[in-house]
Amino acid sequence: MTSAPPPAAQAPVLSPTNPPPPQQLPLSSPVSAVKSEVPVAESRDPPASVSSLPPEPSPVPAAASYTITIPSCSAWFSWDQIHDTERRILPEFFDGKSASKNPGVYKYYRDYIIKRFRGNPSRKITFTDARRGLVGDVGSIRRVFDFLEEWGLINYTPLVKPSAKEKRETDEGSEKKEIPRRICTNCKSPCGMTCFRTDKADIMLCAKCYVRGDYRPGLSSTDFKRVDVTEEIKTDWTDKETLHLLEAVLQYGEDWKKVAAHVGTRSEIDCVSRFIKLPFGEQFLGHEEASENDKPHHKNDEVITTPGEENDPEQDCPKRMRLTPLADASNPIMAQVAFLSAVVDSDVAQAAAQAAISALHKVDIGGGIQTSAVGAKDEGSSAADSQVYSESLNEAITEAESQLEKEEKDVDQYLSDIVQIQMKEIQDEIVHFEELELLLEKDRLQLQYMKDLLFADQLSILQHKPRQVSKDGEKVKPTNLVS
Amino acid sequence: KFRMPTAENLVPIRLDIDIDGQRFKDAFTWNPSDPDSEVSNFAKRTVKDLKLPPAFVTQISQSIQTQLAEFHSFEGQDMHIKEKIVPLKIDLRVNNTVIRDQFLWDVSNLESDPEEFARTFCQDMDIGDPEVGPAIAVSIREQLYEIATQSVSSAREARVGKKGRRGSDIVANSKAGNTVDLGKLFGSKGSVIRKRKEWYLYEPIVDILSNEEVGALDAREELNAR
Repeated sequence: MTSAPPPAAQAPVLSPTNPPPPQQLPLSSPVSAVKSEVPVAESRDPPASVSSLPPEPSPVPAAASYTITIPSCSAWFSWDQIHDTERRILPEFFDGKSASKNPGVYKYYRDYIIKRFRGNPSRKITFTDARRGLVGDVGSIRRVFDFLEEWGLINYTPLVKPSAKEKRETDEGSEKKEIPRRICTNCKSPCGMTCFRTDKADIMLCAKCYVRGDYRPGLSSTDFKRVDVTEEIKTDWTDKETLHLLEAVLQYGEDWKKVAAHVGTRSEIDCVSRFIKLPFGEQFLGHEEASENDKPHHKNDEVITTPGEENDPEQDCPKRMRLTPLADASNPIMAQVAFLSAVVDSDVAQAAAQAAISALHKVDIGGGIQTSAVGAKDEGSSAADSQVYSESLNEAITEAESQLEKEEKDVDQYLSDIVQIQMKEIQDEIVHFEELELLLEKDRLQLQYMKDLLFADQLSILQHKPRQVSKDGEKVKPTNLVS
Repeated sequence: KFRMPTAENLVPIRLDIDIDGQRFKDAFTWNPSDPDSEVSNFAKRTVKDLKLPPAFVTQISQSIQTQLAEFHSFEGQDMHIKEKIVPLKIDLRVNNTVIRDQFLWDVSNLESDPEEFARTFCQDMDIGDPEVGPAIAVSIREQLYEIATQSVSSAREARVGKKGRRGSDIVANSKAGNTVDLGKLFGSKGSVIRKRKEWYLYEPIVDILSNEEVGALDAREELNAR
């Protein structure tokens, strides 16, 4: 009787072209994760991120002469472990509902599919290849396969070069056309115009799946929020465009039609809103905006100090933030600078700007705003100036953002204070009412007692009557009992 | 109640479609609780992956749907699962590998797992071709499916024929050939250990054929099919 050969370490692998054992492919690559932190944190929706994020391939040297690349959003992958992402997206293997669908089986599917793909990375592995070699029901195999494909763990290599080229092309072109493609996690088809998203399980469904109710148990239709794809298009202004905008504003003043024409790729409304959002934008429009900004300020203060009011402070805050991104603190200073630069000669202003930049650059980013305001106002600004300007513009933007965050935090704090105070009020009222109740209860008891007494009296009267009759022998008038 | 006597209620699906002289054969396991949209998606994907002519899509979908419908038609009905140990046989050829095996299977064990059996088999016998595993699993499931459907009809017969006849009699009569009589085996005279002279019967055989032999066998099968 032949003895059974020792079981192979892993599932049978069809990899004739890969001589070294698969374990040599190191894939848990924390080293390359330097830049990948941001995309990983943002990319909670893998399908969109793989296609629309500029995928920074983290090249991993394989044992042979080719390299396997996977997108940085999948840097968590490792042969030895099952990551939370996998548990999250394919819960059927991890919830213990069925004995034969367990993490071991999942790992077997996953490892087999990935190894098979890597055995021949120049060729995309098809689902049929995978399921023909795997023991199990094709539905679950398909889900694992789709998951791996979406996250770029298989069939990803061929896309690297063309997508880099595409990225360069689309960068030049209009960014408005770049719509993040949403793929429905259920039916794996693009979502189209509307999608429904739930944060509980990070699933995005297309309208059809949502209506059909094809989501996992544990989620109900109320957990889903509707998201319109068109809303989410964020168009970022490039530095070039902002430069154009500012030049145009300088040239044409408030004629937004001409400004938009000069910028080219933006509509009038976009130009105006963008201009307003620029930290120093208000300066060019004079102080009217600044004073408008002060008014919402006051309004907000009032709201805070009178917590008893019913009006919703929330509505004021975003408005306030929209109108006054930051700049309030330095308004008067910038007004001064603007005035000075207008008075002084252009060369002098330029020299002053340069000096200011070098002096203040390290210390205060706010200085950058001033100098950039100065530089922009300068009629004869040279190319170097504009470069400096755009640099400091970026700094201004980051400064703006951090200040914005601070403001938001403050607002949140105020809100919570207000809520607390209102809660206290309600509590006091409750206590008051409880006391009232007590008193009423006491009254009621007393009344009851009196009633009982009265009833007892009536009874005793009735009892006395027959005795009276027998005593007097006369008819006694029937007394009307008062009940 | 009717179900596949395995831990996962999965259905074996076999496809054998011939369009314009092009033959497509396939076998796999399907989860009947997957939504119907899966069937058409699967058909499209398979046709795309294998670069078959598009006419196959509808045929594949239909075939799968028919088999699933048949499975579903059994679902409401009762079945008698008694303690039955049946011998299952594997006799397949997958690409270059030929597998022959027989073993005993407990049909009343509703936690049994043909997939796990197939995986372990391939590991233990060191089978290189990954397509063997699924073929074994499907073959086991098909035999179990056969047994399950038979038990439904026997349950029906048992209900119909009352009056002095006990259902178990009928079942015993019809199944006597297949069922291994546990009483005899595990009784005082028998022992659980197989007799040495019977070992060869239950030993799995794995053969690798050369390409010419494969070609010859394929040709013969084609002839038989026509």
